[in-house]
Amino acid sequence: MTAVLDLRALSVDLPLGGFLTRARLPILCDVSLSVGRGESVALVGESGSGKTTLARAVMGLTPISGGSVFFEGQRVDGDLARLRRNAAMMFQDATASLSPRLTVGYLVTEPFRIHGLPLPDPAATARDLLARVGLPPAIARRYPHELSGGQARRVGVARALALDPRLVVADEPTAGLDVSVQAEVLNLMHDLRAGMGLAYLVITHNLALVRHVADRVVVLYLGRVVEEGPTARIFAAPAHPYTASLIAAEPKPDPRRRRADLAIRGEVPSVLRRPAGCEFHTRCPLVRDLCRSTPPDLVPVGDGRQARCHFADQRQDKQGERHAVDHR
Amino acid sequence: MSALLSVENLSVSYRIPGGRLRALRDVTLSVRRGEVLGIVGESGCGKSTLAAAMIGLLPQGATVEGGAIRLEGEDMRHLSPDRQRGIRGRSVAMVFQDPMTAFNPVLTIGRQVADFTGAHGQRLPQAEIAAMLERVGIPDPARCLGRYPHELSGGMRQRVAIAAALLMRPDVLIADEPTTALDVTMEAQIIHLLRALRADFDGAIVIVTHHLGVIAELCDRVAVMYAGEVVEEAAVDDLFHDPRHPYSRALLACDPAVVIPGTGHLPTIGGRVPDLSVLPAGCAFAARCPLADALCRTSPPRVAGQGRSVLCHRAATQVAP
Repeated sequence: MTAVLDLRALSVDLPLGGFLTRARLPILCDVSLSVGRGESVALVGESGSGKTTLARAVMGLTPISGGSVFFEGQRVDGDLARLRRNAAMMFQDATASLSPRLTVGYLVTEPFRIHGLPLPDPAATARDLLARVGLPPAIARRYPHELSGGQARRVGVARALALDPRLVVADEPTAGLDVSVQAEVLNLMHDLRAGMGLAYLVITHNLALVRHVADRVVVLYLGRVVEEGPTARIFAAPAHPYTASLIAAEPKPDPRRRRADLAIRGEVPSVLRRPAGCEFHTRCPLVRDLCRSTPPDLVPVGDGRQARCHFADQRQDKQGERHAVDHR
Repeated sequence: MSALLSVENLSVSYRIPGGRLRALRDVTLSVRRGEVLGIVGESGCGKSTLAAAMIGLLPQGATVEGGAIRLEGEDMRHLSPDRQRGIRGRSVAMVFQDPMTAFNPVLTIGRQVADFTGAHGQRLPQAEIAAMLERVGIPDPARCLGRYPHELSGGMRQRVAIAAALLMRPDVLIADEPTTALDVTMEAQIIHLLRALRADFDGAIVIVTHHLGVIAELCDRVAVMYAGEVVEEAAVDDLFHDPRHPYSRALLACDPAVVIPGTGHLPTIGGRVPDLSVLPAGCAFAARCPLADALCRTSPPRVAGQGRSVLCHRAATQVAP
């Protein structure tokens, strides 16, 4: 079966500022990933890891400099109309992504107008779309500023669903929402997937969200995939020290399980000064000499997983040990 | 030990066209020296209004309708504006959610922090500022002094904001959503920093957040707010392991971080927070509460419970799940 989305060795670089220089700054390096039909894949990493750039590159909003994007087996090559007709994007700031001067009813049916598709009864279509995301028909007459955060997010989903997409790219779909509303949005995403066979590419740094919506996880660090595999396996036994650090950094909602120490120190280095060798070595609690000089490859580590670490294999034996270091 | 900062029966409302929005109703809370108090609740429940009231920075349009805010027993509302300004920053300092907006973008960090200390008493030398920056975990503090806010990451800006607040040697540090704008790794580092500071800072810390994980990691005591009221106050362990108010229970249950994955569905809290300009006659949570009965809909509950407080008619009668 062909994947809905297939990225093959995708690279994105941006021009470095400067009048006469042709220098370019690599943002994404050689990223390969695929999202199967009805599958949900999460892309995680800290700010600056390239998550959002990847989403933008998939949707053709940022030019790619190497590799290719395949949508349902066909290479997307300048022909963005087919991709955009079948893949929709859910934006991080739902209210800001809706034009303030248009009613909700117009906004959710706008994709038909953009793609020049027939829309015989706009009011009925709007009603159906709103019903699918659990909003009452009366909302169609409202303007975006009259919506609550949760409602705006639902309108964003309704708009994304307008053309019956096969793939939804969701950038931080629950950021800025209260926990009870987050739960509603997650339940909605879950139901839509079960009912419509939608595939998701979810971009987030919220690991709780990943556990709930993703079948597979791709972990990015400085624009490179450092670990990839089934969600349950990765959370149970992360193969890369960066993944382990991210999981350990998550605050535990139980005062009896407070962390005694700190999982990860320092910050993501600037893409202007990528470290030599393994790019994570400057923050890695398990760093050895080899890591400072030789970049590791992304290699299979069992259980359908891949990791970019020289010592991933050895670590699989000592699971459960916290990769924690003292913070100074 | 007596309270360092206390809020007694505080009610605050905002003027809105055609009425008033009752943002805080009869809130009583206190924080002691050496203690970390957490204030948790969803948007619009009054957390930030309470934090602003604690530091005497209520926005225009807000009216204190009753109650007192006491710092070491003295009612801050009866002080002159000058005295209030003196207390702000020096006795009670605040750290905001987005440290970027708290800085002036065209001045260096060193200059701004020095100006800030100057405005609140004595302008401190750069060396002393650098020492505090080092204390809050900023690498190469001397270089940081010469940088501009946009050159620092969100986590580093939040550290600078905390350092600036601490240079005033305040008695109370109020942090409003201090980690909300940060990545999980930076969040962990700021939690770690606040914990370390607490050990050698002889004051009280108040953390306002909607993130239950931050509360669990950091606080000693928690106040849960709903629709402008404190509906439950408890020691952190009691709240997470034996929540008594139906709202606290619902809030803990629907946190995506708590639920064991695999079920696909998370519990939700049906309905909405009531309109704070037309509050229901009885308990504000009654319309969404699975335990509500006729009494709850008609008569507002009183605070119940010993050692911890629960604002619920049914708290005493219900059995723990």
